[in-house]
Order: sequence, then structure tokens, then C-alpha cells
Amino acid sequence: MISKRIYVAWVGIHFFLITAVCFAGLFSLVAERATILPSALDTYARKAELLAASLLGKHAASTSPVRRSIATYLHAAGIQSGYTFFAPNIPGYHKLIFELNYQDGRVEYESPHFSGKAAALRLDSLLARLGDNRYEPLREVVVKMLALSIWRERPDVKKIRATFGLVSPPSISEFEQGKGDSFQPLFSYDFSLRNDEKR
Amino acid sequence: MILLRRQWQKLLEFLFPPETDKWLAVFRIGMGLQVVAYALFLRSDWHSLFSTTGKGLVSRELGEAIASFDSPLIPKLGWLVAFGQNVGLGEETVLSLTWACLLCMGSCLVLGLFCRPAAIIAWFLHVCAAESGGLLAYGADNFMTMALFYLMLSPLPDRYCLDSRLVKTKPTDPRLLGFWRRVLQIHLCFVYFFGGLAKLLGSGWWNGSNLWRSLIRPPFNLLSPDILVRFKYALPVLGISICLIEVGYPVFIWMKKARFFWLVCILAMHAAIGLTMGMYLFALVMIVLNLAAFGVGIRVPWHLAGGTRHSAQFLPKQQLSP
Repeated sequence: MISKRIYVAWVGIHFFLITAVCFAGLFSLVAERATILPSALDTYARKAELLAASLLGKHAASTSPVRRSIATYLHAAGIQSGYTFFAPNIPGYHKLIFELNYQDGRVEYESPHFSGKAAALRLDSLLARLGDNRYEPLREVVVKMLALSIWRERPDVKKIRATFGLVSPPSISEFEQGKGDSFQPLFSYDFSLRNDEKR
Repeated sequence: MILLRRQWQKLLEFLFPPETDKWLAVFRIGMGLQVVAYALFLRSDWHSLFSTTGKGLVSRELGEAIASFDSPLIPKLGWLVAFGQNVGLGEETVLSLTWACLLCMGSCLVLGLFCRPAAIIAWFLHVCAAESGGLLAYGADNFMTMALFYLMLSPLPDRYCLDSRLVKTKPTDPRLLGFWRRVLQIHLCFVYFFGGLAKLLGSGWWNGSNLWRSLIRPPFNLLSPDILVRFKYALPVLGISICLIEVGYPVFIWMKKARFFWLVCILAMHAAIGLTMGMYLFALVMIVLNLAAFGVGIRVPWHLAGGTRHSAQFLPKQQLSP
């Protein structure tokens, strides 16, 4: 058996990293005012989040070997993100609707989909990420890819309008009064065929 | 100095308790089933999930670019595809082989055949898939990677696997077995404590609205809202109970008298998540982790013959360390 000291040192580093990841996630929620904690704590939470992130080497240059080593280890061990699932609150869910305009003037509506239930959960995860401001630079690219997948199935579509929005489900009392989901569009993109390329 | 030495000894005793390999067998078989289920559940969408631009739903290259931004050393399916192209295999063939290999490694883990290589390959392929489909990944992927990472490092093979029957192996040091189980136990305490704490900070878990919202939103809406409305007064109680069970886990799971109750509550919670929200993979991996970490060898309160025994008493004599 390798020296117990080596095992203990590894355990120390491993759980130190997990603690830093978990606190970074928790402080981020507080800083974003997503919790019931008073807003006076926001600034402290932001500072604490930055501190936790710096412990994980996230403030080092992207080429820094320390940053890369920590990131590789975190991803390899599956500990790169905290455990704040379904917390602190559950917002509405996001929906992406494609308006398909055919060459003969027909209009159909479609959503991106997988054939299996397990993959459908992943699509929900993708849409939740698209709604997150941190993923804003990727939105158009991802929506374009999703539109492209629809186009492959329906080559006679002339134009696609993609509308991404937030669906707010009713509360229990609203549901009892007969109210259903409400859809609030957040952004939309138009894609059309040009030079055999989907734009 | 003496005090420090005593603390160090206490730490070593805590981190290296003597253990049998029963928990490891449960962990191996459970994770084998998990890998098999993962592969089978994604069978029909495997190519849509991981194909490159123009073939998949979202390009694999995008997920890999995001992962590479964190570190170019993070394993990804693109490595395998590039390797395949060098030996004349197309992307589709490589992806199909990866899927088949994952299924095969899961089966090997269940049977206990080539345990260590199977665990390493399953971990590697799963990390590749999880990172390449990064934008489409969710909690179950992290837990699977984490569990396979621990399984790969644990002292395989256990004595219940086929490897041990086919090839005579040296019995594993019980303290090493205890160490890896302890790591798993501590990790689960982190998972539930931070998960529970984050939930307690949200108003929706105190009044039941979060439970309602999580159960009626697609794709988790397996239960009809009309059924939920009938139990609307139970939702706040359930919401608070979930938070308390999670946040109390690192305390009560270590107490001999409370351990069985707490474990049953946590397992019931995960089973309910699987059945009512359709998160089968997530539920299965959490159940496996809990059973391996705290379930094996647990004292059942009403089982008269099953008094609390020190784990070393379960060990066959030849397995005890000197």
C-alpha cells in the first residue's frame, strides 16, 4: 500500500477543490440575488465567489499550466460544478419554437427534439443554458445549428424564424383557476437559404 | 507534539477503517448497470448528440471547443474521431464503436470481467462523451463521471467478480478498501450538504412551489397537475423535508441510530425523482452511490440478529491486515 501520507494529501487536495467549487456555486447564487438572503450580502458574496474561483485557478491566464491542470482534474473527476440542482428556486423553463416557412407559402411550427426521453432531458439542459446570460455569445450559433437540424429533415423549407422564450407555468392557485402556461419571447432569429448555405 | 500525533492517528483511523470488499462489489455492479443503462437510453440519439457540424443536433465541436477553453487536456470524443481517421475509420464508425465499447465495458463491470481495465475505459469514454456533449450535459453526467473516477481508482477486483474466480489474486488490504469507501462517503456528505443548503436559500422550497414547478414542467411532467393539486397541502412539508434530509445528511448518516432511517429517506427521494420526473439515470447513479457508501453492512433497526458489528468483524481472517 502506498504511504498513507500520500493518500491523506490527495484527500486533502481533492476535497479542498470540491469545497471551493461548491462555495463558488453557492456564493454565485447569493450574488445574483437568487436567494432569500438580504441584498446587503451581494457584494460580499461576489467577493467570496471570486476568491473561490481564484482558488480554482480561474483568474490565471488561460494558458497557465496551473489553471489547465486544475481544470483537467476537475473535469476528469466530475467535480467541476457544484451541487445546486433545482436550487435555490425553480424558474420557468425555456422553449425554442421554429416557424417554418415553406416555398409554397405554408407555415408550420416545430421544436428541436430527440427521439429518446433521456436525450430530451439533455435538450432541456441546453435550452436552460441558452437562457443564461453567460451563454449569450453562443446563443445564435447554437440556435443556427438547431435550425440546421430541422432543415435537414425538411429541405423544402425556405425560411426559418426561431423564437426563444421563457415559459412561466402557473402557480397551484392559478392552475386551479384554469390559468395555463404563459410564454414570453426573449429573442428571435431569422434564417434563410442563400447559396446553398443555411444562414 | 503528542496531541498532534494523536490527532494524526485519529485522522488515519477515520480515513482507513478496515472494510470488506462487499461495498466495492455493489459499487462495481451498480455502476456497470448505470453504464449499460446510459448507453441503451442514448442508443437512438447517440449520433445526433455527438456528430459534428451538419450531422448532429448541436455540433460536437462546439462542446469540445468550450471544454478546450477550460483545458485542452480534457478528454473528448474528437480525439477518438481523429485517431479513427488516421486508421481509416469514419466519424460515424468511431461513434458507433465508442457506444458499443461503452456498453461492453458496462457489461464487463456487471460480470466482473477485466474489472480494472473496464472501469478505466468506461470512465474515459464517459468523460469524452460528457465533455463533447457539454452543452447537453446535466447533473447525472457529473455524478457518473465522479462515480466511475472513484471506481477506477478503487482496489478492484473484489472477490465476487469473475476475475477473482479465474485468476487467483492477492486479497486487498482492508484498510485500502475502507479508504475508498470513506472517500465516497465524505463526497456524498458534500453533495447533500451543499445541495440542501442551496435549496434552503430559496423561498420556493419552504412553500412547496418549487416542488410544484419541478413536477409540472416538461420534460419532467410525468404526473398530471390535477393529481398534484390534490396533495397541495403536502407540498410545503415535502419541500422542507427534502431540504432537511439533504442538509442533515452529513450529520445523521454517521449516527448509528439514525443511519438506516436517513438512508431510506434519501433512497426514497431518489426513487421518487426517478419515477415522477423520469430522471432514471440520475436516480440510479445516486442510489448506487448511497448503497455503496452507506448501505452495505448497515444495521437494520428491527433485525434482532443484526446488531452493530465493527466492519472488521465481517472480514475473512486472511483479509485482515497484520
